[in-house]
Amino acid sequence: MSKPPAIAPSHREFGSSEWLRRARLRFPLSLGVAVAATFGAMLIGLGIIASTGTDLTDAIDAFWDGMAGSTFTIGASINRAISLTFVGLGFIFANRANLTNVGGEGQLAVGGMFATAMALHGAEGLPLGFAFVLPLLAGTLAGALWGGFAGALKAWRGTNEVISTLLLTFIALPLVYWSVESFHLLRKPLSDVSSLPESPEIPDATKLPLLFPGDRTSPLHIGLPLAIIITIFVAVVLSRSAFGLKLRAVGLNQVAARRAGVRSGSLITVAMAVSGGLGGLAGAIMILGQQFYLTSDFSSGYGFDGLVVGLLSRGSALGVVLGALLFGFLRSGSIDMEITAHVPAAVVLICQGLIVIAIAGSAIFVEKRRR
Amino acid sequence: MTEGQLAVFLGSGLRLAMPIIFAGTGEMLSERAGVLNLSLDGMMLIAAFSAALLSWATGSPTCGLVTALVVSLAVGYVQAVLSVTLRANQLVVGIGFNILALGLTTFLYREIFGPLSRDTIPGFSLLDFSWLAAIPIIGPALSQQTALTYVGLLLVAVTWALLNLTSFGLAVRAVGEDPRAADQAGINVRRVRYLGVLYAGALAGLGGAFMSIADSNTFTEGMTRGAGYLAITAVIFGGWDPWRTLGACLLFGFATALQFLVPAMNLDIPVALLLMLPYVLALFAIAGFVGKSRQPAALTLPFERGS
Repeated sequence: MSKPPAIAPSHREFGSSEWLRRARLRFPLSLGVAVAATFGAMLIGLGIIASTGTDLTDAIDAFWDGMAGSTFTIGASINRAISLTFVGLGFIFANRANLTNVGGEGQLAVGGMFATAMALHGAEGLPLGFAFVLPLLAGTLAGALWGGFAGALKAWRGTNEVISTLLLTFIALPLVYWSVESFHLLRKPLSDVSSLPESPEIPDATKLPLLFPGDRTSPLHIGLPLAIIITIFVAVVLSRSAFGLKLRAVGLNQVAARRAGVRSGSLITVAMAVSGGLGGLAGAIMILGQQFYLTSDFSSGYGFDGLVVGLLSRGSALGVVLGALLFGFLRSGSIDMEITAHVPAAVVLICQGLIVIAIAGSAIFVEKRRR
Repeated sequence: MTEGQLAVFLGSGLRLAMPIIFAGTGEMLSERAGVLNLSLDGMMLIAAFSAALLSWATGSPTCGLVTALVVSLAVGYVQAVLSVTLRANQLVVGIGFNILALGLTTFLYREIFGPLSRDTIPGFSLLDFSWLAAIPIIGPALSQQTALTYVGLLLVAVTWALLNLTSFGLAVRAVGEDPRAADQAGINVRRVRYLGVLYAGALAGLGGAFMSIADSNTFTEGMTRGAGYLAITAVIFGGWDPWRTLGACLLFGFATALQFLVPAMNLDIPVALLLMLPYVLALFAIAGFVGKSRQPAALTLPFERGS
């Protein structure tokens, strides 16, 4: 008997969930919409900055300096993009099964928290400079549990994963706050110089190795090659593997998939666990590669930025990388713009919101063109 | 726990529940018509800001309230165009609105209030009914409220009546369960859904205004802190029924108020755990461990004639 030809995975199909599927097209048009929305939103952003009476050239100068003005800022921007890439990949992974994981922020937060705990207690002794591996795994596992829990609720209790992942985020953030506030958890002992609620700095051995250890000006770390490998891996799993096909089948029609022998319940749980695990990895990398100690607000919206990156990519791993780079550089630029040119970084939030709304709202027109 | 502490706890619990009661009641009606507004939090935030701004500029909280209502209706209209006419993904659009609202209010707050952030914002005054206050415990809790609290509780009853006693309510329920059948029966699906979203927008606006000019008399960046999401959860918890939704909102309000009561009673419970309590309760609720109910069949599904 021949195989059913109905849903063959193809690398040219970028959409997956209902709305993405409706918007699916040959790549150029949907990419064109994303580019147009981004440019339109940035123009509006510039208009807003101009309306405050700030000199536009000053603002843009500051923005550029913060974004890519030196080896250091370029490295910092790319490091930001790495975390966003992982959260975005997590989003499209679950979205392939028509699951919308909006809890990246919470998964990232628990990932960072557990990575810190592991780095401070017990990872130092690993041989051959691999002390950073255990904290990375701990963070990934914590994120996977956080996401997988939402997946299990979806699979066996029918709980809407959008609401549950959001609620889990609002549970995760106070947990981090609690851990850095309590001396018996992760808070560093009081001393004469500092009484801030934060963890002690993690041991040097557990920090991510730099890519150019000789060059002190570049903060680029080993997360970059890791991100490239994982991006390729996710792309291949989603578009070329039997597992990717099963995810897609469950996303399109759960009942039909179950009849065809796919165990949809466990598949949904695994998809959400992988999605959350990537978020947890992003949090671990932020701690081990950049911040080196835990504070209650260390995640500061990275999870939500990563979610937007995932939404914009329309299910393509390459799209995630491009979006993550865009947002990574934008965020670096906006921070500098706030400090030097006194333009509130919230302008970038406005642009991000407009981009999401424009792309979601234009899906119907993209679909009409296709008919 | 003394009687005074209990009265303060009940009063603050009710005040903390009010914004969610407003938003949740409106959202419940919209969801019965099949449209989920994840943008509720953003609507509340924008309304809280506009209310604070106009109340501060004119000195009249009523003026602030009206502005908040107008602004949130406008936001609701855009949301309706996107989710009903353009059939955009309701969840994605909602998240987009929330990001936009946070950015916009933070930006405007810094630009306009910046150095003046210590200015007090004129808010509604407390009713302070002496006859009511005479009742032990509940009396002080109920009388230490603004008129807006009573408007909110009244709106729950109004919404119940609207949904169950009017032909509009029948249309709402029909559209939320089976838009195709409703369309064939001559109901204008699009119009009913627009009205549903506008109703949610208006009530979210009142809820947001309550935060800035009836409760705290101040605006802070991102001050809703997820209240909109809590309202949506309360609707699910309440099984899309006005009175049970009210109950869920009150439960969340009192759970939030615990963080003030517990330190006052010298109990050694970490504040962080109390902060997450409403969300843990909500998670249990939507996971169906507390009662089971059925959502409107066409919730979040866009309707297109002849498709």
